[in-house]
Amino acid sequence: MSIVPSAQAQDQTIKVGEFLDITGGGASAAEAARLGIELAIQEINQGPGIAGHKIQLFTSDTQTDPTVGVGEIKRLVLQDKVNLVFGPLISQVLLAALPVMNDAKVPGVGSTGSDQITPQNGPYYFSVLINADGQAKAMVAQAEQVLHAKSAAIISDSGAQSKSFVESMKRELAARNIKLTGTQEYQYRAVDMTPQLLNLKRGTPDTLILFASSGEDVGNVLKSLDDLGWTVKVTGNYTVATFADAAIRIAGKEAFTKFDVTGMAYRAFTYCKADELPKPYLDFVAKAKAFKPAEAARLSLPFAAIMYDAVGLFKEAVEANGGKTDGPTIAAWIEANAGKHAGILGPLNGSTTSHFLVGPNALTAVYPARLLDAGMQQRYGC
Amino acid sequence: MQDLLIIAVHGIGAGAIFALVGMSFNVVFNASGILNFAQGNLLVLGGLFALLTLPGEPSVTGWLVLLPIAAIVLAALVAIQGGITLLPLRSSVEQHSWLITTLAASVIISGVLMIYQGSAQPTVHSPFAGFRLMGMRVPASYALATLLAILWYVALYLFHTRMLTGLAMSAISQDLDAARAAGLRVRRLQILSFAISGLIVGSAGFVAAPVMAIASDSGISYVMNGFVAAVIGGIGSNLGALIGGFLVGVITSYAAFNYGGEFQDAVALALLVGVLMLRPQGLLGRPAARRV
Repeated sequence: MSIVPSAQAQDQTIKVGEFLDITGGGASAAEAARLGIELAIQEINQGPGIAGHKIQLFTSDTQTDPTVGVGEIKRLVLQDKVNLVFGPLISQVLLAALPVMNDAKVPGVGSTGSDQITPQNGPYYFSVLINADGQAKAMVAQAEQVLHAKSAAIISDSGAQSKSFVESMKRELAARNIKLTGTQEYQYRAVDMTPQLLNLKRGTPDTLILFASSGEDVGNVLKSLDDLGWTVKVTGNYTVATFADAAIRIAGKEAFTKFDVTGMAYRAFTYCKADELPKPYLDFVAKAKAFKPAEAARLSLPFAAIMYDAVGLFKEAVEANGGKTDGPTIAAWIEANAGKHAGILGPLNGSTTSHFLVGPNALTAVYPARLLDAGMQQRYGC
Repeated sequence: MQDLLIIAVHGIGAGAIFALVGMSFNVVFNASGILNFAQGNLLVLGGLFALLTLPGEPSVTGWLVLLPIAAIVLAALVAIQGGITLLPLRSSVEQHSWLITTLAASVIISGVLMIYQGSAQPTVHSPFAGFRLMGMRVPASYALATLLAILWYVALYLFHTRMLTGLAMSAISQDLDAARAAGLRVRRLQILSFAISGLIVGSAGFVAAPVMAIASDSGISYVMNGFVAAVIGGIGSNLGALIGGFLVGVITSYAAFNYGGEFQDAVALALLVGVLMLRPQGLLGRPAARRV
């Protein structure tokens, strides 16, 4: 069945805009997000809709470029007059687009992690990504409590979220008295990180903190480490876990063992023993495979599930408010009721002080390469 | 010192790719006055050819057989692009629609890549093991790209100085109208120059595929650095492009090593600005007279 309802029904529709980074550095994540969003919308349109309204979908491509993103959000909001926006996945794109969304009072949910994304800057925008600060806390805890690291170096990409992360990480490392021996950046799609890693190697850190935004970048960092012959423990962020399959294709599974790589994952997609798998996620995986088998086989299904859950949250918010879709109404409801959401991720964090719906306690360290079907990973220490 | 040597080797390897793109720019520019801004994505297509034709564990023999095929396929493709670019132009020097045409070709290639492989950035495996330097493994593709850049420089030098067709192309670069008046088939030679540039980027993409980002959005980085290499060396000078490519590769690698990866592009562009301010014709370029 088509995602877009017939013309006859269109005056009754809720217009939803996909504001995604379909091309450019954020593309691999955007494809997965699109799968989750469109599956959720298809289910809604096949059912009774949202408060009786079907969904009409409009798609846009930010090209992972803030300038292009502003043009695209203007088209969605001012020309297509969408009621809700899903995306983007890149913080700098969102930060550029927020004024347009704020002026039009259009609510949105994306997967962005910069600390600049606050209820003041984006009163109607929410993120289902754990923010940079939360990831930094979880990663430093892993480095200190599990790896017993006394010193650390940081390598990250050059995105806005990564810059927030590095600042948070510096604070966390200082708070736990772990020495920071160096920081380095690389650009999206960089293949050879040897110069940056060679620089960090001089500081002889106990662990290398890796904050990446794509699985390919993770793979290339591990491959460069291997070429360099620098055997250091790698403590990675959620990308390292979520997009491990792409990294494995580049660096090989053995690189994850060699560098004792850990990644941060949503607990909802992890397991300890193979016979205790997360059922809500497994149900989603079955539906995704039936919806688009080729994409489901290729893309990160945990990431697709996150955005699928986001659509479900907005559906609850709109229905609870009798079909109203304006930003102030939806935002107030989510701030008060996100904790009651029963989706794949479990209860979310809603508050007036933070619009990051997933807290640090929802994260856990995993062995990224210990993958079961659909990207389920084994928790570290199991 | 050891670290600097490693940086130099990596920089030369990366710079060889820029040098090849720079020489490819020059071949077309000398014959037509056109800067083919699709070079970056054409290079990526060369890498894509390697991805599609080489098995997971390629043999040296298979690689050697496929290398010239990659070059010829890209040569044919770029010749067609050149024909389309030149078709509406009475004189490629006086009209500038080629700017849009070459950029459009780049956008189309990028779009086709996006449709074909989505956002993925697949990896190509080399049949050659890397070599060890100071305890570090250096990918063989860097050495091969360096060798290829030098070979292409020598080949182009011999072509332009010893062969009749090459001499005719050199004549076009010196005075297009005089060359036409002398009876040279200018348009045919210009399309041939596109084909030769295709041979260069096709072979370069195939050889460098294991150390390249074969993705729909990676061409821009290669065309920018290749252009910087060509301008620093002096547009039109293949020796300049060779030296410029190595310079850009080494200096940007050093910048990433010593100052941080965020400064790589800034340093390449600062280098470009610096050279243009001090020596507008580039390191080995010829100052050109201009009618005012």
